[in-house]
Amino acid sequence: MEHFDEKKTAIEESGESRSRRSAVLFGSAALAGFALGTKAFAQSAAPTDNDILNFALNLEFLEAQFYTLATTGMTLDQAGISTKGGGGSAGGTVTVKSGAKVPFTTPSLQQFATEIAMDEQNHVKFLQTALGANAIAMPNIDLLNSFNALAAAAGLGATFDPFASETNFLLGAFIFEDVGVTAYQGAAGLLSSKTILDKAVGIHNVEAYHAAGVRTRIFQAGAAAQSASQAIAMTRAKLDGTNNDDIGVSVSGGASTIVDCDSNGMTYARNTTQVLSIVYGGGAAGTGGAFFPSALNGTIK
Amino acid sequence: MNKLSKLFTEDLSRRRFLAGAGMTAAVAAVAGCGGSSDMSGTTSPIVSPPITDADILNFALNLEYLEAEFYLRAVTGSGLSSTDAGSGAADVTGGAAVSFKTPAIQQYAQEIANHEQEHVRFLRKALGSAAVSRPAIDLTNSFNAAAMAAGIGSAFNPFADENSFLVGAFVFEDVGVTAYHGAAGLLSDKNNLAAAAGILATEAYHAGTIRTLIAELGDPYLGFANKISALRASAGGGAETTLDASHIVAADSNSISYDRTADQVLHIVYLNPASGFVSKGGFFPNGLNGTIKASAS
Repeated sequence: MEHFDEKKTAIEESGESRSRRSAVLFGSAALAGFALGTKAFAQSAAPTDNDILNFALNLEFLEAQFYTLATTGMTLDQAGISTKGGGGSAGGTVTVKSGAKVPFTTPSLQQFATEIAMDEQNHVKFLQTALGANAIAMPNIDLLNSFNALAAAAGLGATFDPFASETNFLLGAFIFEDVGVTAYQGAAGLLSSKTILDKAVGIHNVEAYHAAGVRTRIFQAGAAAQSASQAIAMTRAKLDGTNNDDIGVSVSGGASTIVDCDSNGMTYARNTTQVLSIVYGGGAAGTGGAFFPSALNGTIK
Repeated sequence: MNKLSKLFTEDLSRRRFLAGAGMTAAVAAVAGCGGSSDMSGTTSPIVSPPITDADILNFALNLEYLEAEFYLRAVTGSGLSSTDAGSGAADVTGGAAVSFKTPAIQQYAQEIANHEQEHVRFLRKALGSAAVSRPAIDLTNSFNAAAMAAGIGSAFNPFADENSFLVGAFVFEDVGVTAYHGAAGLLSDKNNLAAAAGILATEAYHAGTIRTLIAELGDPYLGFANKISALRASAGGGAETTLDASHIVAADSNSISYDRTADQVLHIVYLNPASGFVSKGGFFPNGLNGTIKASAS
């Protein structure tokens, strides 16, 4: 119990620093608008479509690395997928245990994991092509300390290895998938180009298909996996500052909770600040932490 | 200027999505009478009623009525309340409580039924007095006709047992995803877009679960689902991904989900592949309610 309280305090503290950071962000946006000078309307804060696509590319790099390592034991570079920027800048490092390939015993789960790996690789390649010379290089990614820290924050133990077993892999996947859905949903309304919006919505859908497949299998895995998913969902909701925009897998009123959605039957939207706070594990904007120890690449970081 | 050109582009996309009743016919007529190159500018512009966000949301509401009736009847034996169906709502034919054997499948069904009911309520509230009421819905002859057309057999009752129920659900889910995807970019209001994106992702979750469960079931249900998938593609057009353990997601080679035009969706729900004007049939024996109700291509 004491242990739990300690963690709770840590989370609360990170939540507090998050809101302070938001305030700072707003401050700098306002300053930037002011600095633009004579125009009465500050438009500087609005990200461009490329900014948003690069934000998405960072997240796709994370997902693609995770699934490619889980299914093949190889990083993207080892699997022949470039992590370089559009201008040729080198991709970052990947921190992960050696021999990350999951010891799958259920063929259909292995096939599903492989399908997701291909999808995420395709998303990386699609965004790289769409962004061309503007594409960011892969930032540094951590798939070792990040999971340990998140597990501790969620009260799941001091360490967590998502590559150790099929159930752990599902929980590791769970951490990303719903975040991807909420991130694309939050970003959709910011895109100016209808063509890009159409593609983003299509990727958004695919992430939701993934999330459903993962959550359905967690549901089937039983009570322990379900309650772990609830702890992770609660942690995500705390990290993004709302405390109420995420639900794990369970049964409520005779209905399963496969879909991570609100009382209108709509999936949640997260803004980029909220997404950053989750993938940084509460780390400061621009500094990073957890899955992105050196922050994202690009303008939204 | 900029805004005008943006509006123009949006209007064009709307026409493409809608390929609406009269519009395509008008284009064909213009092209036909012009013979060669009629670039004089004397051709009168195609007159079509402006398609509003409300038209698109009402189109979605019709599809939500269908899904809600299917799932609610499967889990409870009865459908939407008269309040949720709207004043003067038309009748629903068929549908019955499924005798579920597996608690998990019943729980999935209950969850999806709740969501579809919430979508109906949300859209009705968002549309206010502009909301269309529930059109006539057929959940008996439609499935029989679909089974026949798909080559599954002369009859199909999705309420007969829990596995048949999953196949029945499969008929709708990916269509909902493609329909919302096609419509999302056409909405003018950012709030409507956000709502549509939220509903659409929920439909994709549903589809992901249904596809996962049917892939686990295997044949004959997997075979039925893929015959339905082929029927959707042939009746309405639009791409499909054949379901198996390695293809849970329905998406293209870039791993981006498919979209469909309203025309394609109408051909599917009316179960009528005939090109041209189709205004009713299949799941909607008297057609949809609202302005988007008839196919033109």
